[in-house]
Formats: sequence, C-alpha cells, structure tokens
Amino acid sequence: MARMKFLCDAERCIECNSCVTACKNEHEVPWGVNRRRVVTINDGVPGERSISVACMHCSDAPCMAVCPVDCFYRTDEGVVLHDKDLCIGCGYCFYACPFGAPQFPQSGAFGLRGKMDKCTFCAGGPEADGSEEEFRKYGRNRLAEGKLPICAEMCSTKALLGGDADVLADIYRERVTMRGKGAEIWGWTTAYGKPERQQEQQQERAKEGAKS
Amino acid sequence: MNRMFIVLEALLVALLLAWSPLAAAADQSAAAQARRQVEQPLNNAPVWREVRSGEPQFTTVRGVETGVLIQSGGETWREIRNGPLTLYGGILLCLAVAVLAAFYMWRGPIKLHGPPTGRMIQRFSFAERFVHWTMAVSFVILMLTGLAMLFGKHVLLPLFGYSLFSWVAAFSKNLHNFVGPLFILSVLVFIPMFVRDNLFRSYDIQWLKKFGGLASGEHVPSHRFNAGEKLVFWGVVVVLGIVLGVTGLILDFPNFQQGRGIMQQASIVHAVAAMIAIAIILGHIYLGTIGMEGALDSMKTGYVDEAWAKEHHEYWYNDEMARQPDTAGQPVAGRGTAVPQA
Repeated sequence: MARMKFLCDAERCIECNSCVTACKNEHEVPWGVNRRRVVTINDGVPGERSISVACMHCSDAPCMAVCPVDCFYRTDEGVVLHDKDLCIGCGYCFYACPFGAPQFPQSGAFGLRGKMDKCTFCAGGPEADGSEEEFRKYGRNRLAEGKLPICAEMCSTKALLGGDADVLADIYRERVTMRGKGAEIWGWTTAYGKPERQQEQQQERAKEGAKS
Repeated sequence: MNRMFIVLEALLVALLLAWSPLAAAADQSAAAQARRQVEQPLNNAPVWREVRSGEPQFTTVRGVETGVLIQSGGETWREIRNGPLTLYGGILLCLAVAVLAAFYMWRGPIKLHGPPTGRMIQRFSFAERFVHWTMAVSFVILMLTGLAMLFGKHVLLPLFGYSLFSWVAAFSKNLHNFVGPLFILSVLVFIPMFVRDNLFRSYDIQWLKKFGGLASGEHVPSHRFNAGEKLVFWGVVVVLGIVLGVTGLILDFPNFQQGRGIMQQASIVHAVAAMIAIAIILGHIYLGTIGMEGALDSMKTGYVDEAWAKEHHEYWYNDEMARQPDTAGQPVAGRGTAVPQA
C-alpha cells in the first residue's frame, strides 16, 4: 500500500500560486478558507525561496491527537481525514497543527468557528466516494477516481509532488543528484518524523552520553 | 502647525527606534541569505533556518499567521495537554472527591451542638445571594462542560458513541463559551461586594493553626467569614477567577485575530487554573451542602439561626447583636422574608 505524502521542491517553486487556485476551484472551497498557500522566504532578496504548504498528512498527526471528539481518521494510504458531522469547531486542531492547515469558515465571537476545513489530499471524506454530499462537504475525491491531488498534478514546474512517498523520494533523489544542490526536503521531519537512521544515531549518542 | 510636525516626527523616530531590533533581525537574515548566494551558492542554510523560526514571511493568502510556515508551539501544547494536564488533572479531581467522601464517612455532617433557638439573623442580602448563585450556577455549568471537553474523549465517548458524544460536546462547547462571560461578570460584581469582610485579620492565624477545627470538632471564633472562607475568596474567586476570565476571553473571541501562540498558552493556563479551582470548590460545595447543617439555608434564605451564628461565627454574632439590639434576636415572622422553619 502506498503512503501518500506531499513534497515541495523549494528549488523549483516559482510562487505562481496555481496550486492555491487549482485547489480552491477543484473543491469549491468557501470564501476565506485556503487549504493551500504559498509562502516566500525573504521575498525580493537574492536566494529567496517559495514553498507551497497545506496539510502534510502527518504520521503522528497532532490534530488527531488533540481532537476532543475524535473526528479524525487515517486512510489505508496514510491520508488524514476528518468527519465534519462530528466536528464541533473548537479550534484545538488549529492550535496543535505546526503547518496551520486547519481552517475555519468563520472566526466569530464566542468561539463560533463553523466546521473545520482542511486539505483532504483530494480524498474526500467518510461519505460514499464521489457522492454529492461528499463533494459538498470535502470537495472532489480524486483518489477514488485514480487521480492524484490537483495541486501537484497541475504544478507547472513540478515543484509540488503528491503521491507515494517512495516514488517521490526517488524522483527527488534523482533531482538532487543531477543539480547538485537543494537536498533539503521541507517539512518532512516535522510531519513524518526523523528518518530511522537518524533516530538510531540519536539514540546511540544518548546512550553514549549516559555512559560517560 | 510646525509644532505638530515636530511632535509627529519625534513619535516616528521613537517608533523606529522601538522597532529597530526586530527590523535589524529580519535584515540580518536577509543579508546573510544574499551573502550566501555569492559565497556558497549551493548552500542556502539561512532560508531553512528562517523556515523553522516561526516568523511570518510573505504570502498572498490572507488570514491569521498565514505567513508562518512551521509553528512549533502547537507540539508543546499537545504534549502538555494530552500528557501531564490530563493525567495529573484527572488524578487531582479524583483525589478531591475521594478526600471529601472519606471525610464524610469519618466525621459525617457537622451538626449544631446546641438546639436551634428559632431566632434568625440575616447573613446575606438578596443582592449577595443573587450574585453568589449566578456565580455558582455558571461555575458548575463551566466545570461540567469544560471537563467534558478535556476528559469526555476518554470517559463519555466510549459510553455514548461518536454521534451522541459529538452532539454533547458541541452543546458543551457553545454553552461554555456563552456562560463564560456571565461568570466573569458575576466575579467582577462579587469581589467588591464581599472584599471588606474577607480582609485577613490577626486572629485568622488561630483558625488556620487549628484548621478550623474541621478535624477536632472545635469551633474557632471568627467574624463574618472564617479564614478558610477568606482563602477561598482570595484564592479561587479573586486570583483563579480573574486568571480564568482573562485566559477564557483570549480563547473565546478568535474574531480579534490573535495568533496561535497566545491561545496555546492561554489554554494551558486556563486548564490548570480550572482544575485547581474545581478541586477547591468541590470542598466548598461539600461544606455548603451535605457537609454542614444550616450552611445551605443561609445562602438559600439569607438567614441563619442564632445558635448557628454563635457556633460558627462568634465575633460576627456578637457584632450583629451589639449593632442592632432592637431587631436582632426577634422571631422570624415579622421580617416578611420566607424562612423555612428549623
């Protein structure tokens, strides 16, 4: 089974915001909600980099851990989804998420936020795949149609990749080898944890530290 | 006209000076990045440091903190909330209930030693009782709904199932958010109303030394409120009440576009303060209801029996007797207030 992830290649992103627009259009996302956004670091300075960010579908998802009604679930492909019928709009997922992915249609007085909305990796929600109700609440379910997320699919420079993590890693490794720079994969440590080898090294170092 | 310009200019300069450390930091990072492009074009470390800094960067998407790529505070918030806060908070509340149950089984309700005289004196005015009960009812609602938000997932969800619990949680959340401001209002009215009789006096130390005779059964004289009640007033109503109110308002009004950082911190402080307040107030509720004879009546009707007043608040009883010898000590009937017969 594939493990779905997003990968944004900062060496390639040109800040065209097509992913943002494509997402809004595909899912008919309500006003004020942006499931994806592009952030430019040190804009206008030589060496500036742009990064497209949305829900990263974390391995140990903080939103899922803090939700008081347990409305989140993870699909077999590692996509983190939520049930809007259960969501109470408390905002805890928004406090916990490092990427600022959970969005609310309102931010009213007395904590009236409405139901949380976030990137679904174009995988819909708990309703029947492709149903009208699913589209109304979560947008299109492209994964059920055998397609990958629209943001990554229509990225003109192929900076944003979405799909099976192993395939993404292979593509990225090849790119880094060819261009000889830009090995940093943004956000992966935060979302998916440190690579196993690094974790082992850290543990070994901790053990040695304890001994000495 | 000229003077105005000078004042404006001075203000601008002051603003710039105040702003300069921030501006300098941003400039430094940008300058480091530009320099890196010349010195080591293949190594763009300054950018990656900036990603983890939590500082807002440029984005066309509008909203709260949309320019921040990674906000690390959320992970800390999650660790504290799902870890020690839930665990030790839960233990604290269970302990509080267990201690009260054990005390009730050991000592039973604190009864009057002498027979009631049938003569009543006024302890609380209507306004005082009204404010007390507004605060009490709102506190209990906030306590139950707040506990449902923190512990419901572990306690109620397995019992109710997802659909019903989601409905209960949504109801709890909205009730909590709307009753909260009412609680703050009642606290703000309550404090000036009761502050005079809650100022600490030298003899309060005697009460504290003997712990109010709760264990021995001995009654330590006090004025209108004993040292225990004073501690609850200052600790729970004044300190925790204000802390809960301020942090609650930060969480209750996201329409002011405050960032996640302050809301994470407010949430933790709010929960810790609430847990301590609940543990203490459980003791207050116990003593005010099943724990002590006559205590509930005094807040319900406003009147207490003279025997009760003399036993529990002797100095206050003496004062009342000296202050109004003509009215004090008379039978209830003439006062026109409904008082249940003892």
